[in-house]
Amino acid sequence: MGFAQLKDVAPGRREFNETVSGHPDFPQLIALKIDVQRRGVHYTDQALSMVDAEIHQLRSANIFGTRDAVLRPQLPDSLLLRDGTSIVVDPSPLDHDPYFVDLIDGRLFLVDAGEVLEEVDLWHKPRFYDKFTRSGIPMNLVAQARPQRINLFLSSYCHFWAKDDGGCKFCDIVNFGKQQKSIFAGKPNRPRPADIAETVREALRERGRFTTFCITGGSVLKGGELFDVEVSHYIETLQAIGENFSTRKFPSQIVASAFNERQLSRLYEETGLSSYTTDLEVLDERLFQWICPGKAEHVGYKEWRSRLIRAVDIFGRGYVNTGIVGGIELARPHGFRTEAEGLARTLDEAEFLAENGVSTIHTVWVPRPGSTFGDQTAPSLDYYIRLAKGLHALRVKYRLRVDFDDYRRCGNHPDTDLARLL
Amino acid sequence: MTSAVTSGVAALINDRDTTKVLVTTDASGVPHAAVTDFVQCGEDGRILYFEPLESSVANRNLTASIWFDRQVSIALRTPADERFHIGARPLRALVAGPAFQRHYDAFRARFGDLDLATVWVLQPERVDDQDFEQARRRQAEDRPFFQHLDRIARHASP
Ligand code: SF4
Repeated sequence: MGFAQLKDVAPGRREFNETVSGHPDFPQLIALKIDVQRRGVHYTDQALSMVDAEIHQLRSANIFGTRDAVLRPQLPDSLLLRDGTSIVVDPSPLDHDPYFVDLIDGRLFLVDAGEVLEEVDLWHKPRFYDKFTRSGIPMNLVAQARPQRINLFLSSYCHFWAKDDGGCKFCDIVNFGKQQKSIFAGKPNRPRPADIAETVREALRERGRFTTFCITGGSVLKGGELFDVEVSHYIETLQAIGENFSTRKFPSQIVASAFNERQLSRLYEETGLSSYTTDLEVLDERLFQWICPGKAEHVGYKEWRSRLIRAVDIFGRGYVNTGIVGGIELARPHGFRTEAEGLARTLDEAEFLAENGVSTIHTVWVPRPGSTFGDQTAPSLDYYIRLAKGLHALRVKYRLRVDFDDYRRCGNHPDTDLARLL
Repeated sequence: MTSAVTSGVAALINDRDTTKVLVTTDASGVPHAAVTDFVQCGEDGRILYFEPLESSVANRNLTASIWFDRQVSIALRTPADERFHIGARPLRALVAGPAFQRHYDAFRARFGDLDLATVWVLQPERVDDQDFEQARRRQAEDRPFFQHLDRIARHASP
């Protein structure tokens, strides 16, 4: 498709320009990141001609899926803007009106409707990606990378899916896990501690490459008490990582189920873990019951929230947060009817959490084909800017840091990109 | 884009004995000045500022500058008492990737066990020679009203 054809229609460009002009206090680079995440990207053939699998990080094994139900491991993983902001973004079908990544004078740029917007860098492949563990597993199937973070996915299965309609309605973990199996055939269901320790040791040889770990996976309900087995998985993983450090604690995050105080204390005492995240996904009890039926049935909204608050006593203020899928509160047919209502309710509840020392961070909702909500649409750019601003303002008001989940240690939350100013 | 920095000024920036002061402003315009050893001029005339502290005021303010397209200043004073002011704009924040990692190694080789948070790439837009004696003479010639009368009185009081 030629850019000239796009130029006449470009509602996306119009929306962007009108929206950012209404928010002069919001960084345009972060607005652009949000919009690229909303609409996805398309790499032109020219752009792909300069992708080098020896240098660039291609799409790695992941926990959540694609926006077009096709996993193309030969495409680049994601992008970096010139201010150091990551755009964690999937390729999108052309009929979803994606931004283009195009090659101009030997450099890559984001282009929309023929307008050249910003230069972007591709993520670079860490050296450990080409190595194997002694047990013969490619290390890139044990751990994955963001520009400054090591990711470990402990499982691609979530036990809430065991029951029909138990999984969260925006989530495609199990469907995507099956899809990945054929492509990343050697990927272990759960990496062994010895392989993790070895992979991390290798990753740390690369100086200046990593600042933290994020460990996550689907919920595991089994155990003497609910989630006990999941807790054990995190403990053995963190202990394996910890073998590589001279300090007892090391920068790290788990994004896990809502553990009770005994389980959280074990994690804190027995490992080097230094922060804790458990996602409420949507900050409204009625919508939580509809959108996250498994979580609602086994734990419940109020108990999930109260476990977050109790975690602050263990990990400290500024080291506990909850993720929401920004925009999911507007999902049809039971979501809030207007963006204003959705925003007000979300920020109100986020304020309650912030008063209690818990930060709320958001992602940009991508309706994935492998999820129940696959055919829905995410809200406007304006909504996301207001949401990011609102969550950031709460951190300013309640003096809450979010160092463990910021632009560098994560890069997937527009609101925590703003924490660079905190 | 050609740089406003001449090779002479670039050499002064790269001289370890030159005192450098980086002046930035926060998102509401409040200024902050910091004497720094971590400024360098590249061969392309761009200035690199190596920020070891993620949480420093300068790092925050440079972020605000790249987001809201605002200038920063660098003041120089050489051992020979030459003084310059450079107005620049942040172009890029290197926080990851091979170039960042090369700077990380070089920075630590030079300064020891410091971290490196960001390499700020600054595009110089103007360089002002701030030689005081020259400025004083220029003002005396061009702006004769800018003086106190007692300094030119026939019978100056002791
Ligand atoms: S808890 Fe919900 S979002 Fe998380 S993996 Fe399970 S179904 Fe998906």
